[in-house]
Amino acid sequence: MTAIPLARQGRLRRLRKDFFGSTASTMMTLASVAVILALLRWVLNWAVLNATFSASATQAVCAERSGACWAVIAARWRVILFGIYPYEEQWRSALACAVVVVVIVLSCLPRFWSFGRLALTWGFGAAIFYILMRGGVLGLVRVNEQQWGGLPLTLFIFVATGVIGMPLAIVLALMRRSELPVVARVTGWIIDTIRSLPLLSILFTCAIVLPFMLPGFLVGEKLYRVVFGIALFFAAYQAEIIRGGFQGVPRGQEEAAKALGLPYWPRMARIVLPQAFRLALPATINQFVIAFMETSLVVVVGFVELLAAGNTAYHTGEWKFAYIEVYAFVAAIYFAFVFGLSRYGAYLEARMSAGQRKE
Amino acid sequence: MAAPPLWRSKSTRAFMFQSVFLAALVAAVLGATLTARSNLAAQGLTSGFAFLWKNTGWEMNFTLLKVAPTDPYWWFLLMGFCNTLFMGLISLAGASGIGLLVGLMRSGRNPAARLLGTIYIELFRNLPLILQLFFWYALANALPNPRQAIAFGGALISSRGIYLPGLNVSQGAVALTAAILLAGAGLAVWIAATRRPQGLDPVRRRRLVLIAPGIAILAGVLALAASHDPALPWLTLPATTGLKIEGGVRIQPEFYCLAFAITTYGGAYIGEIVRGGFKAVGRGQTEAARALGLSPWQVFSRVRMPLAFRAMLPILINQYVWLIKATTLGIAVGFSDFFMVIASSITHSGQTLEFIAILMGGFLAINFTLAAVLNRLNRAIALKGHQATGTT
Amino acid sequence: MDLTAPAIEIRNLDKYYGAFQALRGIDLRVARGERVVICGPSGSGKSTMIRCINQLEEHDGGEIRVFGTLLDDNLGSIDEIRREVGMVFQQFNLFPHMTVLENCTLAPMLVRRTPRTEAEAVAMRYLEKVRIPDQAGKYPGQLSGGQQQRVAIARALCMQPEILLFDEPTSALDPEMIAEVLDVMVTLAQEGMTMVCVTHEMGFARKVADRVIFMDNGEIIEEAPPGEFFDAPKSERTRLFLSQVLGH
Repeated sequence: MTAIPLARQGRLRRLRKDFFGSTASTMMTLASVAVILALLRWVLNWAVLNATFSASATQAVCAERSGACWAVIAARWRVILFGIYPYEEQWRSALACAVVVVVIVLSCLPRFWSFGRLALTWGFGAAIFYILMRGGVLGLVRVNEQQWGGLPLTLFIFVATGVIGMPLAIVLALMRRSELPVVARVTGWIIDTIRSLPLLSILFTCAIVLPFMLPGFLVGEKLYRVVFGIALFFAAYQAEIIRGGFQGVPRGQEEAAKALGLPYWPRMARIVLPQAFRLALPATINQFVIAFMETSLVVVVGFVELLAAGNTAYHTGEWKFAYIEVYAFVAAIYFAFVFGLSRYGAYLEARMSAGQRKE
Repeated sequence: MAAPPLWRSKSTRAFMFQSVFLAALVAAVLGATLTARSNLAAQGLTSGFAFLWKNTGWEMNFTLLKVAPTDPYWWFLLMGFCNTLFMGLISLAGASGIGLLVGLMRSGRNPAARLLGTIYIELFRNLPLILQLFFWYALANALPNPRQAIAFGGALISSRGIYLPGLNVSQGAVALTAAILLAGAGLAVWIAATRRPQGLDPVRRRRLVLIAPGIAILAGVLALAASHDPALPWLTLPATTGLKIEGGVRIQPEFYCLAFAITTYGGAYIGEIVRGGFKAVGRGQTEAARALGLSPWQVFSRVRMPLAFRAMLPILINQYVWLIKATTLGIAVGFSDFFMVIASSITHSGQTLEFIAILMGGFLAINFTLAAVLNRLNRAIALKGHQATGTT
Repeated sequence: MDLTAPAIEIRNLDKYYGAFQALRGIDLRVARGERVVICGPSGSGKSTMIRCINQLEEHDGGEIRVFGTLLDDNLGSIDEIRREVGMVFQQFNLFPHMTVLENCTLAPMLVRRTPRTEAEAVAMRYLEKVRIPDQAGKYPGQLSGGQQQRVAIARALCMQPEILLFDEPTSALDPEMIAEVLDVMVTLAQEGMTMVCVTHEMGFARKVADRVIFMDNGEIIEEAPPGEFFDAPKSERTRLFLSQVLGH
């Protein structure tokens, strides 16, 4: 009791000051701790202590206990993950998801950060994914796009948004800063208009209205039209992010490239864009995070992606009571992707600002 | 000196490129419009806006003023637009409140409060809004049916909605009161933010800022009282009669679930913006204020808050625009916002192009107005001698 | 491109920024192998003028010829002139995301289609000339200002240009680094490179310039060999300027 080391004493004092520095602070501490504990207790009771884990449990069994009925996940997980994709072919869906996850992880590694490598990784990944899902070649049974569902559909929309939207965004951003006044002005209007529309209205237009407006040979599958709509929306936002990056690149960079005789395209591809992208990286990752969450909006125009598959999983009579369990499961999947990506973005941002200080 | 070949001439090339660009754009728009018209004509539909005065023949499930199937399309559209604005107003206000609270918790010193704020933000920000909306809607639908409604201080809570005690006043008076209150609040903000009328001394201006909403509240109460039918009591409590609940004001699950989802989700985003705003206030400012002997509350309200607000406003503008657009999710649960009215109108009337034009016009108008107002505010409060970051 | 024609020939050059006239009827001839130093107060149009020579700024009146090639609307002539005219900037403008060697090999490989090995050999030769071959693998951010500017000179040389333009190459440098950059410039001058330098380094002007030009208010006020320019300036404005630059 006699000798507490000085350093520890200091730490104790600081802790006490932070938690109980004033009456207001003390009240805040108590209230916060109470809320956190109540939440924890409720989650623990519901999800673990009072939950039914038996995979074969029925509603009657589950009703005896007050907690979660995880049997619903055991019974319906394939519907949630893969939707109405043919049951025997669902291994293809699973494999396709794995491919996408690998592509995402690879493109987070700095050694993949060159246009060539990223384009190759994403293009290649998208191609494998597409062949696996669609089939019709290499002895794989053809699966109609209308039967795609669950997590692979979510990932398909996400990847396609990136693969189509990113080049489109670069083109839009370059056009907006073009020296040609008509091109710059009109592109500006187009970008601003798309950005001020809700994504849902764009999806709706693509799914339902566009077939009226296009000549027959351009109409195509509804899925592709909707994906194009999301990609366009993504591109409009991403173009503005890239434009922000452009503004951070000193003018002298482009002048030096001009003075060396580099023509427009190499000047953009080798000098301006890489620097603009580096500056825009945190905002870009944030945009990808948002794009991932917004894939779930396609449920409104009738696609059975992860969220909608979750809805169908509990909407059948016997599991109607277990909606919280299903949503918790679906939410956990979304959370894993979104939280992972956004943490990665925060890490990059911290690393970049640290790097800047060193230079 | 020979003239350069045409394709190597910079100005010719610029002219050609821009012409081709414009021509392609015009061709695409024109082509789409013509195709659409011929397709629609094949279905026996004529283009034009005359249909706006036709009866709709269907119902809207949520309206602020009376709407009947015999009402024309333009009235439906107007009411849908009001619903969007109403939903936007409520959820923006709610999200701002939560955002401020969470942001303050996250930027404070108390570790327990910081942890709670972090849990909130990570949970609500990292799940799709529509997932959250579906979840709340499923919860609301799982509430007891009207016969077993939960009574809570005069209100009844059931799967059919939340029934609050209702004032016996006319709907028109409520709308008028809302307008008066909005105008009063707007005026107060305007006086406070733009420092106008100029040359007023601060004490009198502060008094004016308080008087404006005061008069509005008084006028609102008078308007409500004037429309009260003396034969009825002032308040009607909701009561269960058979299978239904009657009396009072019903708040539909579609409405409160959407409002709640946008509020909580937007609150998480705004919380991060608020935290960023406080982070942007230099430590030196706070220390200088403390060194001058200001109390913690004065340091907060006179130095940190005003500076943080200026730092966060430009990002806040974008977030508000985003949240207004999020009200279109109403279609997922059946709340008749502007977008849902448009979508139903298209399926019922087939006047596709016209409704798409109205939809775009409506959202462009909302965005421009909101951005213009907030940018104005941004410029008005920008620190003199510093560049305002809003766009002009 | 006609190497027997004057390296640079400017006639009656005008340049406007909106209503402001930045250059007023400039006439200038630079012969092949000549070293010209341009000085003058800030805002006198000297940077604008040399930036017109490689079309970083578009001129509004008059004509510019480089080795007989007229700078006009023709995209080909702009490309041609930029290949033969190198430029060194006040702010170095090295590409921060590329190593020193990559900075030097980029343009030769992309514009002149030089094979990589050859481009790298040439780059190393010029890096040796500016005395920093050991830094070839580093990034610009890891070098000092003086080193960066020397890399910038090497980068311009790697295109093997006929003419080098210097736009205040030492103005952004700390005093102790100015000498190392000037040394390199003197070496280049002695080897016969055609140079047009905008600079306030009067010592440098006296040592290497064939001609010194004084500009003020968008006009050329005085043009003379350095001896005459420094010792017996004709114009009052030149005298005032010299007393301000040399006075302390």
